[in-house]
Amino acid sequence: MKSKLIIAIAAMGIAVLFSSCAKVPQAEVDAATAAIQEVKDAGADLYVPEAYQALVDSMKSANEKIEVAKAKWFPSYTKAKATLAAVSQMAVDTKAKSEARKVELKAEVEAMIVEVKALVEENKALIAKAPRGKEGREALEAIKSDVAVAETTVTEVEALLANGDLIGSNDKIKAAKEKATSIKAELEEAIAKKGGK
Amino acid sequence: MVFIKKKFKWIIVILLSVILITITTSVIIVSQKELPTNDLRIAREALSEAKEAEANLYAEKLYKESVQSYDSAMVNWTKENKRFILFRNYTKVINFAKKSKKKADEAKEESIEKADNLSKNVEAAFVSLSKKIDLYKKLFKNLPLSKSIYDAHNKSKKFLSESKIAHETGKLKDAEILFKKAEIYINHANTAASKMLRDYFNDYPRWRNWANDAIAASKNGSKVILVDKVAHILYVYQSGKVIRSYDVEFGPNWMSHKEHAGDKATPEGNYHISRKKDGGSTTYYKAMLIDYPNADDRARFAQKKKQGLISRRTGIGNLIEIHGNGGRGFDWTSGCVGMRDRDIDDLYRLVVSGTRVTIVGSIAPLSEITKGMDF
Repeated sequence: MKSKLIIAIAAMGIAVLFSSCAKVPQAEVDAATAAIQEVKDAGADLYVPEAYQALVDSMKSANEKIEVAKAKWFPSYTKAKATLAAVSQMAVDTKAKSEARKVELKAEVEAMIVEVKALVEENKALIAKAPRGKEGREALEAIKSDVAVAETTVTEVEALLANGDLIGSNDKIKAAKEKATSIKAELEEAIAKKGGK
Repeated sequence: MVFIKKKFKWIIVILLSVILITITTSVIIVSQKELPTNDLRIAREALSEAKEAEANLYAEKLYKESVQSYDSAMVNWTKENKRFILFRNYTKVINFAKKSKKKADEAKEESIEKADNLSKNVEAAFVSLSKKIDLYKKLFKNLPLSKSIYDAHNKSKKFLSESKIAHETGKLKDAEILFKKAEIYINHANTAASKMLRDYFNDYPRWRNWANDAIAASKNGSKVILVDKVAHILYVYQSGKVIRSYDVEFGPNWMSHKEHAGDKATPEGNYHISRKKDGGSTTYYKAMLIDYPNADDRARFAQKKKQGLISRRTGIGNLIEIHGNGGRGFDWTSGCVGMRDRDIDDLYRLVVSGTRVTIVGSIAPLSEITKGMDF
């Protein structure tokens, strides 16, 4: 009786040893990898770089968990699967964030284009009222060339925007807005001084 | 038979016990074996920090090495996990992970240092570039420059402001690229404009003699008009001293001596007021006609025509005046000297027909004009 029990336990042990090897969650790995690629293709690495980096790090962590599980006698992929599920969800969120940022950025650029165009027109009108004379003439020549630069930039930005380069267009239009705003301030100051004389 | 059966049972029991002991020992051995989990996690975190410090941009080589080491660690871990559990050896995996961490740390450090240096370099470059743009503003902006020079200057300003925005938003590499573009354009503009100005000042010894002569001529009490084209100023001298000065404008091609009709250049040399005009006799409010061309102008014109440098049909030009309707803020005349109406009123009262008018490129030498500038 005693020996039968030992045999049973030993046999069970061996059976468990050879039958309980869980499989790598390859489908989940493939799904998460594909989701990350989709997110990258949507430009998330450019528009929401921090969220994208967190996503990539989580995927790495999931891969490590898979190897940790594989390294055990009795692999269990429960933790890895949970991380992979989180990665897939994060990918969806990151893509949504990226798309939202793109929409937001596009709106910002378009608004700035309108602002810069208006500033250019205002500056042109102010140039006509600005004081002349030798110094005034020199300053006005410089200002005219700056206004021309701002105008050219707007055209460039519109082309970039049409090509979907939101980051490039945002940087350029910001520079143009800053320039156009400083020109306006300069002109208004000169006109105010002239009025005060 | 019973004895054999009993013996077989005992063999089975012993065999299973051996297997069980082996398995238990193996489990103990395997559980004692160091897994690379922590090292990989540490390497991953270090890589993440390095990326955050933009090591992929500023310490590209080290960062790539770190990524490669991490990937190698993972590949080796997978490889080892495919081997029989008792034969797995994670030393290589751990070494790769440690190497990855080390390289990531180095990359982070190098990136921070390089980004800091780059930021300082770009800031210094902004100062140097702004000086070049200022030089253009002070010295070249009023010169009748070609469109390509003007465009190059404007492009440099555009790239400089874009570079500043990139710098402010921490995109130092972009700031550097944009700054370099700005530098190429401003260097092109300034070099071309400098050459133009230097070439123009080759005539300075002649101008100096004319100016000295004109000032000397005023020492007997008579009034002499001396026009400085570079300064855009018309001076009235009397008894060797300036008694009036007015801002003036010229033709768009003022930075050369008038050679023929229609060249939009203002002549240089010694002339006299030949006629004063006002009312209906001029369209420019008030005007003073000068006796261009003088003998020198005619001789030069004849020589150039002979050399084929001026077409046969082209005339020498005339009707060069000092006139009103000016104060427009740019060089707009057809080669005349334009003044604001209130200034021509004053000058008109001050001088008479026959007054000497000397027009020079510049009274001051180039060294004085460019004093304190990085020319």
